[in-house]
Amino acid sequence: MTDNGYQPKIVGFLCNWCSYAGADMAGTSRMVYPSHIRIIRVPCSGRVDPLFMAKAFEQGADGVLMAGCHPGDCHYNEGNYYAQRRYALMRELLAFMGIEPERFRLDWVSASEGKKFSQVVTEFTQAVAKLGPRQGVRR
Amino acid sequence: MKDYAEKIQAHARELLAAGKVDCVIGYETGSDGVNARPAFVYRAEDVGRLTFDDTCTHDLVTYLRNRKGKATAVVVKPCDARAVNLLLLEHQLQREQVVVIGLVCPGIKERAWGQKGEALLGKCQVCAMHNPPIYDFLVGQPIAEEPSPDQRYAPVAALAEKSPEERLAFWQAQQERCIRCYACRQTCPGCYCTECFADRLDPQWLGIRVDAPANGMWHTIRAFHLAGRCIGCDECQRVCIMGIPLSLLNRKLEQKVDDAFKFRPGQDAQTPPPLATFNPGENLGVDGGHGC
Repeated sequence: MTDNGYQPKIVGFLCNWCSYAGADMAGTSRMVYPSHIRIIRVPCSGRVDPLFMAKAFEQGADGVLMAGCHPGDCHYNEGNYYAQRRYALMRELLAFMGIEPERFRLDWVSASEGKKFSQVVTEFTQAVAKLGPRQGVRR
Repeated sequence: MKDYAEKIQAHARELLAAGKVDCVIGYETGSDGVNARPAFVYRAEDVGRLTFDDTCTHDLVTYLRNRKGKATAVVVKPCDARAVNLLLLEHQLQREQVVVIGLVCPGIKERAWGQKGEALLGKCQVCAMHNPPIYDFLVGQPIAEEPSPDQRYAPVAALAEKSPEERLAFWQAQQERCIRCYACRQTCPGCYCTECFADRLDPQWLGIRVDAPANGMWHTIRAFHLAGRCIGCDECQRVCIMGIPLSLLNRKLEQKVDDAFKFRPGQDAQTPPPLATFNPGENLGVDGGHGC
């Protein structure tokens, strides 16, 4: 990834209905994106308890990506709105505790947006790689 | 504050004698003869134990969660009264089963064993709420409020100004000292889950190993679970045996919740909490934006 061979670990929480299908679309369309992301499929972005983000960082993740349906498109109508509020507060809290805000990203990716998914992952992976490994992680 | 004890005793006597409540939770003089400790009074003839002075630090609302279904009267300072509102809002209390004896509070002093404290508690120095937002009986004359938001968030701003590396180093030093006794959880009026995430074995979110990463996880999630709920009694920090500035995390979230959602916990028992509602048009930093 970077010149010194650093390979960032990125955890991606993708909603089953839009973003996971979007990732699938990127795959079936043979789009290329960095393979540092470990995808975890969740029923809805609203399922992502901030605990998951904290746990990912505790276990040594360098970045956490959350992706869900666009506002108004949530399979459960409102899960992504709740997710957004929790995400905003959790990022603020973790940033206050010393994790750079660039290590988080929340984005909306629909099932047809394979291209957007590969772009988001590429951008995010580059941003995280630029920051380098996290300090103070048990390895 | 001189006649507070007398008035609290009169209310307690009346409530117990009439059988309206079966317990009054208040303060009595503790074993060092100076500082107050929580008191549970069940009989009208025992109300003489009740007292109030500037050593009454405890947030007694915490004890209400052990008294579900039983009518109870509780003596509350304004900050503690906000906890009553919080528990009412979250359906942890029934309004008809709690009698709130609210006090007008000029501030509480730091505790020291066997002697009167000198300085006001940190939270009292920046307090913007001297009158209880909910009460059945009010003790004391309401006093003018002097909001001081700048001072209130000054410690948060001081830490937020530093670089991420410095903040990480600061919190790691704190986390290394934590012994995870969970006193912060036990004393918190908002921490009432019957099974805390920290106690779960499957999935085991928090290992039993007490080290900085796991302690950091505990501090993070404890603070987050109080986002938009923390009423600012600072009891978590006061009871911390290792002196970890836990309420700094709560203040940070309090400030953010106030900025982003214009919500202050415990002001009333009706306004829906910010994480249980949403505004369809809002964008709180999606698409990689960081200004939220």
